[in-house]
Amino acid sequence: MAKKVLLVDDEAGFTTLMKMNLERDGYEVRVENSSPLAVSAAKAFQPDVILLDVVMPEMDGGDVKAKLDADPELTDTPVVMLTALVDSTELSDGAVADSAGSMVLPKPVEMELLHNVLNQVLSEADSE
Amino acid sequence: MSRSSLVESVLDNLPVAVFAKDATDDFRFVLWNQKQEVITGLQAEKAVGRNDYDLFSKESADYFRDVDKAVLKKGKPLEVPDEVVETALGEIHMKTVKIPVVDSETGRLLVVGISEDITERVKAREQLEKMNKDLSKTNQELQDTQMQLIQAEKLESIGRLAAGVAHEVKNPLAMLLLGVDYLSKDLDPEDPNIDEILIQMKDAIHRADRIVRGLVDFSSNRSLTKEETTVTSLVEEVLLLVRHEITKASVKITEDVSEDLPPVYLDTSKFQQVMINLIMNAVHAMAETEKPTLKISAKAMSLEEVEKNQGARTYKVFRKGDLVVVLEIRDNGSGISDANVAKLFDPFFTTKATGVGTGLGLSVVRKIVELHNGEISLNNRKNNQGAIVQIILPTRAHAEVT
Ligand SMILES: Nc1ncnc2c1ncn2[C@@H]1O[C@H](COP(=O)(O)OP(=O)(O)O)[C@@H](O)[C@H]1O
Ligand SMILES: [Mg+2]
Repeated sequence: MAKKVLLVDDEAGFTTLMKMNLERDGYEVRVENSSPLAVSAAKAFQPDVILLDVVMPEMDGGDVKAKLDADPELTDTPVVMLTALVDSTELSDGAVADSAGSMVLPKPVEMELLHNVLNQVLSEADSE
Repeated sequence: MSRSSLVESVLDNLPVAVFAKDATDDFRFVLWNQKQEVITGLQAEKAVGRNDYDLFSKESADYFRDVDKAVLKKGKPLEVPDEVVETALGEIHMKTVKIPVVDSETGRLLVVGISEDITERVKAREQLEKMNKDLSKTNQELQDTQMQLIQAEKLESIGRLAAGVAHEVKNPLAMLLLGVDYLSKDLDPEDPNIDEILIQMKDAIHRADRIVRGLVDFSSNRSLTKEETTVTSLVEEVLLLVRHEITKASVKITEDVSEDLPPVYLDTSKFQQVMINLIMNAVHAMAETEKPTLKISAKAMSLEEVEKNQGARTYKVFRKGDLVVVLEIRDNGSGISDANVAKLFDPFFTTKATGVGTGLGLSVVRKIVELHNGEISLNNRKNNQGAIVQIILPTRAHAEVT
């Protein structure tokens, strides 16, 4: 069965393109462009992984993450953060883990890197 | 010669010194009023009947005599605006008018002098001049500081701008990259150009991203994670990291790094970034060099030794007696033209082609070095041999205090 990815990012152009890439690679994708609706979207969609933008109006990625963690239904769903903020010394070519232990990927991100990270996160989640 | 008591008391109570010399009697003094006594510290009894050579140094006496003779020769009063006289009371300044007078009673030729003690005035003027000089120096310093502040302010606003722009630019870049990634998978085998176009586009996206990252690096104020290390191991690690680039450009490396350097206190990954930037700059500068050679040296010495080697250069953050580590990178590349020396560390200054240089390398380098309380300079070597970068780092003790 196809793995389900919930994509939360306020930039509609970005989510459209990301969805196309992920769907072609076999994922089932749902997009949420409004961060306050992210939690209810997750409840409805039951994703295997959530791709979460950091800088968003209304509610930023950190707040969304906190809400997800606080929800018993969603607390085990892995979250990969996407951000245009991280700088190069911390993040030369790859992903890093933030202080809360979730993966952080730089924008712009190569699909190849994203696939590797998704595979890793999903296999970790499966083995738990 | 008789004088009325009126004249006598007027002369003695004048606020100026009055004296007279008899030119027909070897210029011996015939008059020496009270004020003259006060100014010179010599009593009238001692002075009258003697001449300048008896009373003053030969040098002063010669001078007085010359003036006296000039007055007599001209037959007119002469003013000496500032006469410096060594007296028993120290050096004094006098404004003196000398007048040739023929004594109608005796027919003798006199030189009458009227002197005002202007020592205080001269001293006050000198004081004023000195204060004025100090003031314009302070003013200059203030202006310099202001310039530095403006510069700092400019950099800071670039920084604030950079962080905002970075975010705004990275999002569209992210979209472009996703689009290119998508298209790269469904290539039309009929048109090989499409493959090339997509590679070029991807390259352009990464280049733009690099520039934005460089800007953020340059402007980010994040604190350092310092650890105790040595420049020896830093150089070792960096040479491993750049080995590929070095071999590609056939650069020969000579190393003169002491094994027993005192520990320094560095953010290792930041300092690797510094070294890589500097080495890559050198490699670029040696692109046309026949036998490109990079010399890396590191030594510990006292600041005095550094200053001695560097001539007049002064160091801003170090104090006399500091033990410092001096790291130098010499190349035999193009060197820097005089017009560019002052701009090297300016953000966005580059002489490289678009796409090769961002002009941010050295500004980031300087910022990192300064965050470590170090100093950096980039100059031409002697006889157009190439360029030399010098980094001076505090040894651990000093680095920790600040
Ligand atoms: N070792 C060197 N020899 C000659 N010129 C140099 C050297 N290092 C730096 N420069 C000059 O300083 C400029 C700025 O350097 P930098 O800030 O690193 O930016 P970039 O390397 O992107 O041009 C370079 O373009 C070059 O003209
Ligand atoms: Mg450079």
